Amino acid sequence: MSELKIGVYVCNCGTNIAKTVDCDAVVQAVQALPGVAVAKSYKYMCSNPGQEMIDKDIKELGLNRVVVAACSPRMHEPTFRKALDSAGLNPYYLEMANIREQNSWVHEDGAACTQKAIDLARAAVRRVALHEPLEKRSVPMCTSVLVLGGGVTGLTAALELADANQSVFLVERDDHLGGNVARIDLTAPHLDSARDLLRDRIARVTTHPKIKVLLGSELVGLSGYIGNFKPLVRVGGQEQELEVGAVVVCTGYQEFDAKKVKNLGYGSLPDVVTSFDLERMLRAGRIATRAGKAPRYVSLIHCVGSRSEEHHPYCSRVCCMTALKYAHEIKSMLPDAYVSDLYIDMHAFGKGCEDFYKSGAELHTMFLMYRKNQPPQVRLADPKDGFGMLIALQEQLSGESIEIPADLVVLMVGMEPRADAAEVAHLVNISRDKDGWFIESHPKLDPVATTTDGIFIAGACQAPKDIPDSVAQARAASARILAKIAQGKIWVDAVYAEIDEERCCGCRMCGEVCPYSAIEYNPATRRSTVVSVLCKACGTCAATCPAGAIKARHFSDRQIFAQIAGLLEGQGGGLTKGAK
Amino acid sequence: MANIVRVNPGLGEEVQRFGADDVAKCYHCGNCSATCPMSKEPFLIPRKSMRYLQMGADERLRGNLEPWLCYYCGECSDQCPRGAEPGETMMSLRRWLTAQYDFTGISRLFYRSAAVEVGAVVVLGLLTGIGFYLAGTYLGGGDLNIYDGPRAFLPAYGKGGSFFSFGGVHTFDWAMGVLLAGLLGINCLRMWYFTMFNDQAPKVGIGAYISKLWVLPWHFISQRRYSECDKKTPWLVHLIMMLSYLTMLILIMFFLHSVHYGPEIVWQAHAFGYLATVGLLFGTVYAMYGRANKVNTYHKHSHASDWLFPVLIFYCAVTGIAQHIAHRTGFPALANVIYIIHMMGVVPMLVLEVPFGKWSHLAYRPLAIYFAEVQSPALLAQARARQSAPATARAA
Repeated sequence: MSELKIGVYVCNCGTNIAKTVDCDAVVQAVQALPGVAVAKSYKYMCSNPGQEMIDKDIKELGLNRVVVAACSPRMHEPTFRKALDSAGLNPYYLEMANIREQNSWVHEDGAACTQKAIDLARAAVRRVALHEPLEKRSVPMCTSVLVLGGGVTGLTAALELADANQSVFLVERDDHLGGNVARIDLTAPHLDSARDLLRDRIARVTTHPKIKVLLGSELVGLSGYIGNFKPLVRVGGQEQELEVGAVVVCTGYQEFDAKKVKNLGYGSLPDVVTSFDLERMLRAGRIATRAGKAPRYVSLIHCVGSRSEEHHPYCSRVCCMTALKYAHEIKSMLPDAYVSDLYIDMHAFGKGCEDFYKSGAELHTMFLMYRKNQPPQVRLADPKDGFGMLIALQEQLSGESIEIPADLVVLMVGMEPRADAAEVAHLVNISRDKDGWFIESHPKLDPVATTTDGIFIAGACQAPKDIPDSVAQARAASARILAKIAQGKIWVDAVYAEIDEERCCGCRMCGEVCPYSAIEYNPATRRSTVVSVLCKACGTCAATCPAGAIKARHFSDRQIFAQIAGLLEGQGGGLTKGAK
Repeated sequence: MANIVRVNPGLGEEVQRFGADDVAKCYHCGNCSATCPMSKEPFLIPRKSMRYLQMGADERLRGNLEPWLCYYCGECSDQCPRGAEPGETMMSLRRWLTAQYDFTGISRLFYRSAAVEVGAVVVLGLLTGIGFYLAGTYLGGGDLNIYDGPRAFLPAYGKGGSFFSFGGVHTFDWAMGVLLAGLLGINCLRMWYFTMFNDQAPKVGIGAYISKLWVLPWHFISQRRYSECDKKTPWLVHLIMMLSYLTMLILIMFFLHSVHYGPEIVWQAHAFGYLATVGLLFGTVYAMYGRANKVNTYHKHSHASDWLFPVLIFYCAVTGIAQHIAHRTGFPALANVIYIIHMMGVVPMLVLEVPFGKWSHLAYRPLAIYFAEVQSPALLAQARARQSAPATARAA
């Protein structure tokens, strides 16, 4: 190996670091270390001039290792790796010392802080000396896609992908397509027919040459990794292995069971129905009580199962506008009916929804506000009253205890994860949140990807969602997949764990702790191996392995020990020493 | 503790017949009550009334004084983000309350149907005319010399021309006055019962009624509360109108012998009469012009009853002037005919409007202010007790 030439760059980060850390003192301290060819401080290392400084030094001074003492590597490690790469140096010859988040931002004592920065920089210098050149790898990508669920989200995703000329397998458990949208009459707020929305999509999906629709089928297993998944699908009792490069999970939601809410009378009073029961009446064109009469007083009760301490704490998002839709539909079918709407808060957040709320009010819908966790109570009325039921509630806007007559009570049941959501999550190796919904990779910036590469989620399986949002997510997931297909292959990061087969005893503890299911066990050889494409280099397996057979690339024992040694070498009373 | 309110989902439609078209649009942002200069504890107008109406809480509304505490300056309607017209809603509620107070049910018929109200005015006007004609034909011996001339069958003044020597017309005036006061009095008693004896009204002692009694005449004469609105012009116009009407009423009921004695002018009495006539003409023309051209927010919506009242007063004023001129300029026969035409407006206006129509607000408004003043200290104490209750509980 050629002579070590390490360049150390200490970033001021404006005043973020320089305010507490004496950056020039850090430069002076590290300059004396063996192997350090040059040390500099600069106002903003991440800026173009900062990166150019590194580039120039590599080329002119022949640097072969670089340490940047600056912010967290989560922030700018990719930036500086790219700088090394463009100067012709292997990007893994970089080490960052975090002297901002772990130092200047959290300490006040300038002298101690400077000493800690020196310690951290020295540790990085020691570590970088032992860095190895690593290369990213690529694996080929299968361009077929598996879409799980044939609701409006799945239909949209399938069409989007198939129209871009990719093969799609659409797996639907039911014997028909359309999902929950196929169960409803009109949509809010434009009162368009749900049937019309679906009809055209279903026709196109079933006749599309690139889409294979598997009705009455379900996913029973999934192996492989991004670009090379092998889903096992059961169709009509027979299992069939497919080959796909990515999966879009669009398994949707199920409605909350209204029987769980006490005092609403669902299941015991004949004319208390759920929103889906009412949809059935609306689709049949006749709203009637169990006795077959047109109801004079219809009450819509919001948030059944939603926004409650006892059931689901979250808002189901679509019910407010659906209730207003009912007000419109009921008034148009039964002009003499009185419609009341019992809500906690009216969430009219979507485009056109505030106007829809206003037009609902103009229909003389009686809006009554009840308090969260104090749901209304429904009971039978006296036969002499001339109406079927009475609903009692504490009306919040007036502060009055009131009773309201009702002949038909419609419970706006919320959305909840499907009963088999845990099973599906396990099959495709994604996580669920505390409410049971599938978790996205980043709630704001990466809403359709998951922690497993190549598995995407879209629609109401991720959280309660209306049709526009579900469709947008379906198209977003499709776009993400098409972007990967456009690259032609899957790039795998060079940092992953490796198992030394000589030392592996086949105990399989690593496989159990791996959060990404990236470790496979071969029963024939009785050895485990890491599927490097799936590995995220968390290091859990390396720490667990009792035989010490697992090595994490870029986090070798030698590198870590050198780093520790570097930290402890310091003579001053730095913060790292105090913490020891 | 307040009772459970069983709501009447049909109330909105009922009050819509009285004019409240837009109340359903309200979503309770509270801008109306924030902008209203009259809205003070414990009467936070107009939002509470809006809510009762939307909810169909008819018993709460019937016991509610708040619509009478509003003078419809229109500020709330201007500030309403949803076009719910709270000002017009309060106006409609005053009509609805008038119908609720009226024990005969006639008021409700009038307010719900313009045709019925206008028809009743026309029919009663014609009956009045026919009555005078027939009386003249039979009692007056074939001519229409009602109050003037030697053969007058309803002389305006008795022998001696003093206050106590009532003439025929005067007897008729007072008989009608007693009858109408009786009807209106019963309705006022009902108002008192509805508003002071419901489950939300605090118990008040006789002392509170006595100590606040000054409110009644003071607010009646000065319209003091109206002057608290931000806009002062409507108050001024209304005050002129009311004082003119009151002056005319006093002149006719107590000084008829002076104002009818003629043909010479009695300046001590007639000066007041002329001023009042000008005031009435000004007030009614202002109201009718405003409504016709929708000049202000409070002119935007006009219920039939809003038109009928100024039109009838204007009619009476104009025919009264004509009669006066004919009488004073030596045309007694013509004066007598115009008198009949004049009475064809006066009789329906008083008989139909005083107990059943818009005229009744002359009684209900001051009464409402009086009752509100009587209730106010007890309501404020209740509110304070509610606010401090949790703190007391914590301390215990």
